Amino acid sequence: MSRLKSSSVRARLIAFVLLAAIVLSAAIFLSTNVIRDLRLLNSASSDNVQWTLSQTEVEFLEFEMDLVTKLRDPEPDLGTLRREFDIFYSRITTLRQASIYAPLRELPDFSRNLRIVQTFLDRAVPLIDAPDAELIQALPSLIDLTADTRANVRRLSNSGLNFFANDADQRRQAVARTLTQMAAGVSILIVALLMFAVYLGYLNSQNIRRRAEAIEASRRMNIVTGTALDGVIVSDENGLILEFNAAAEQIFGHAAKDAIGRDLGALIVPDHHLAAHESGMKRIREGGERRAVGKGRIKLEAKRSNGEVFPVEFAIQSAQTDEGEIFVAFLRDISHRVEAERELVMARDRALAGEKAKTDFLATMSHEIRTPLNGLLGNLSLLHNTRLSAKQASFVKNMDTSGKLLMSHITDVLDITKYDAGKLRLRSVAMNLSTLLQDIVDNQSGAASANDTTLEWGWIGPRVDWILGDPDRIQHILMNVIGNAVKFTHGGRVAVEMSVNGAPDADPVLQISVNDTGIGMDPDLQAHIFEDFLTGDTSYERTVGGTGLGLGLAQRFVKALGGSIEVESEKGEGSTFRIFFPIAPISPPDVTAERRPGKKNLRPSHILLVEDNEINRVVAREMLSGAGHKVTEAPNGQVAVDLAAVNSFDLILMDISMPVMDGRAATRAIRAGHGVCAKTPIIALTASAMADEQEAFLADGMNNILTKPLSQESLNRVLAKHVPGQDGAAPDAGNQASAFEATYLDDLRDTLGVGALKSLLERFKQEVDGTLDFLNDPAGHSFGEIASQAHRIAGSAAMFGATALRSALIEVEQAAKRKDQARMEGAIAVLPEVWRVTRPLIQPE
Amino acid sequence: MLRSIFYATALAALVSAPVFAQDLATPTGDVLLTVSGLVENTNVDGTAQFDLEMLEALDGEEIETSTIWTEGTHTFKGVSLYVLVDALGITGENLRATAINDYAVDIPISDAVENGPIIAYRMDGETMSVRDKGPLWIIYPYDDDADYRSEVIYSRSIWQLDRVEALE
Repeated sequence: MSRLKSSSVRARLIAFVLLAAIVLSAAIFLSTNVIRDLRLLNSASSDNVQWTLSQTEVEFLEFEMDLVTKLRDPEPDLGTLRREFDIFYSRITTLRQASIYAPLRELPDFSRNLRIVQTFLDRAVPLIDAPDAELIQALPSLIDLTADTRANVRRLSNSGLNFFANDADQRRQAVARTLTQMAAGVSILIVALLMFAVYLGYLNSQNIRRRAEAIEASRRMNIVTGTALDGVIVSDENGLILEFNAAAEQIFGHAAKDAIGRDLGALIVPDHHLAAHESGMKRIREGGERRAVGKGRIKLEAKRSNGEVFPVEFAIQSAQTDEGEIFVAFLRDISHRVEAERELVMARDRALAGEKAKTDFLATMSHEIRTPLNGLLGNLSLLHNTRLSAKQASFVKNMDTSGKLLMSHITDVLDITKYDAGKLRLRSVAMNLSTLLQDIVDNQSGAASANDTTLEWGWIGPRVDWILGDPDRIQHILMNVIGNAVKFTHGGRVAVEMSVNGAPDADPVLQISVNDTGIGMDPDLQAHIFEDFLTGDTSYERTVGGTGLGLGLAQRFVKALGGSIEVESEKGEGSTFRIFFPIAPISPPDVTAERRPGKKNLRPSHILLVEDNEINRVVAREMLSGAGHKVTEAPNGQVAVDLAAVNSFDLILMDISMPVMDGRAATRAIRAGHGVCAKTPIIALTASAMADEQEAFLADGMNNILTKPLSQESLNRVLAKHVPGQDGAAPDAGNQASAFEATYLDDLRDTLGVGALKSLLERFKQEVDGTLDFLNDPAGHSFGEIASQAHRIAGSAAMFGATALRSALIEVEQAAKRKDQARMEGAIAVLPEVWRVTRPLIQPE
Repeated sequence: MLRSIFYATALAALVSAPVFAQDLATPTGDVLLTVSGLVENTNVDGTAQFDLEMLEALDGEEIETSTIWTEGTHTFKGVSLYVLVDALGITGENLRATAINDYAVDIPISDAVENGPIIAYRMDGETMSVRDKGPLWIIYPYDDDADYRSEVIYSRSIWQLDRVEALE
């Protein structure tokens, strides 16, 4: 804007200068004209010429007078006469020849008279030049000639005079014209100068105004920077401070007059940032990268005059000035803010700690509740297996139902706690959606038929059976939604439909819609249906029960799966819940390839049960032994470690919280040692199932986690997973096939070759035969010898897959160790029969 | 003492004596020019009189120029006014030049400079008769200098000159 203005001013000035130059040159031109005219007036010989013309007549008359005088003189002096004649002659010659008379000679009158006078001279010359006597003689005729010529001489003079008068007139007019032109030129020049002066005056006033404005702006700027809350420091590119405002004085504790002219780095940059500052300034001077300039707000540290280093936030901008580049830094002391932030963080940490304490409390409480509840349910289960009257059985069943409900509520609360603490971990295992849904429908079909409701399910579109997913969570969600639908539908229909869709480039999305013709919900209820502790229609509360956590938890799980759940309902007409979540379909696992022949066969396992709570221990033991397993018990971790060092177990079930040595320490000790069971699968038994704890258990060396209370199903699942030859079903000791695991022999054969295996097997057979002989006389040996021998052979039996023999030997070993004479003898009695079955199966080929 | 006074007097006499190349001769032919007035060096009756021979004896100078009174270019030979003023020890400020017909004009002594006006006695090698504006004609080098082409200079270019008087 101002540049534009100044350029137009410059253009105008140039125009004025040009105009002035033109006018000035016109004036100079006119002046030279005037000077030339004056010089012409000066040098032209008109006056002289006129005098010369008059002189012609005068000289003629003088000659004539002299002539008359000489005629009367008897003795005339002819010298003077001749001189007068010569003078006149000379004059006429001048008129005839002189260049200045050339214009005159153009006049016919003048030239004619000049010719006549010349003729007179030509006639007189011979007379004048004649000797004195002849001249005296000729005087009268000369007088006549002269008299005849006088009129011509006069006309000659006059004609010249007229000419020069005219000529002078013309000259005067020319001079007058030139002078007028010059006057006009000078007038124009004066007017132009006046205009120029006016314009200069205008420019001057404008400049004065602008200067005043600039001063005012600068004053305002000073006020602004002076009163700014942020420190403003201006430096040149060498880092020398040019300006230092009041706020900067306050922040840094330097007076402006001291700061200005000093080096920025030395003044306010802390020592540990000084090197970076210097290299940054150097980089800028050399035209390199600018890391701070124009990069917005930067947080750094600065130094006060007392050496205190404090946090500062600043922004730097650069500007080009006539004196070179300058840098303007706006700085803010953020020590208070940083302090406030720190306090906020502390407050947040305290709040988080409080929240964690609450979560921990909930987890602990659930553990404390579940442990005795576990005992209650276990004992109920045991009680149920005793002889009971029909009434008692009914009471036990009711207690069991209530207990399980209580347990599920506690589990729900724990799950919510986990989700809200962000500790919910999803598994990703191969699972079959159809099987899952069929199981749920089967589970709920009883309740449905009790409500006189049909429950059905099916796929819409292509089936996707196998996916990678978390079956527990998905089951929980569907159980909740389908369970609700069944609960709230009487004499109607519940339909579950599954379909897979979704964009081709994204994961496919599973949609499960659960449609019922139940009581439905009003819009108010729909809006709150997924909130915690919502129990729906209170009138149903008693009949259907529930903590009101079900749908809230279901929604949490769906969200954890990356999906969503929605509901559509009309009061009295029914409800439709739709669940969406992305799935990762997989091809069905090759079930047949996974299982080798004989694997289906069952065998009893030897399990070490480590549990301090006696009731829980008894319950677990009963469950395991009831399923045909052999159970060794340990009341704490230390006992377990000692047992595991010398005994061979198929599986160790390890409680966590125990006196003397807890489960985690015991696990670490077993894994670290070189005992018999260093590699045996260890399963954590825990009531507290927080995700971070579970990870810690696995890190300790545990293989899996069972959440209390124990169930037959979960036990079987874990056994199937971790003990070779188990698929979870109850073992049958009498089964011939179970006496021998061919897989072990297959592996050995692959590893050693038939020849080596054959000799090994021969030795093994001899050893077993020898042992049977040895055991035929139990009384002849100490318990320790028997146990040791049984243990040694059991290990070999395990190596060759002679599982039944191994179990039988271990039973002998155990009984011997316990010095249980009766049990030991019973176990020994079984051995020959087991060996008889097993022996022919042990073949090298 | 006496000796020093003698030296001083002798020195003063030497210094105050007029210094001329030679004493002015006496004209033998027709007198063409008579210089009177404030003239140091004279020969006849307190005036300096010259015949053609005497004029030609002084350092001569030639001017080739046109004039407004003649046709074409002519070569004038004569005595430079500067040389004459010097030779005669003229002390006046003005030279009043007078012609045969008593036409007179004042020439300031400042005009007498080197390469300035001459008193011409020959035109194109010939002496000049009265009919040809002779015998003497003051000629300025008009062609050489525009300043010499002015009315004042033209009026000072007196012909048929026969007298010069040096005035205050």
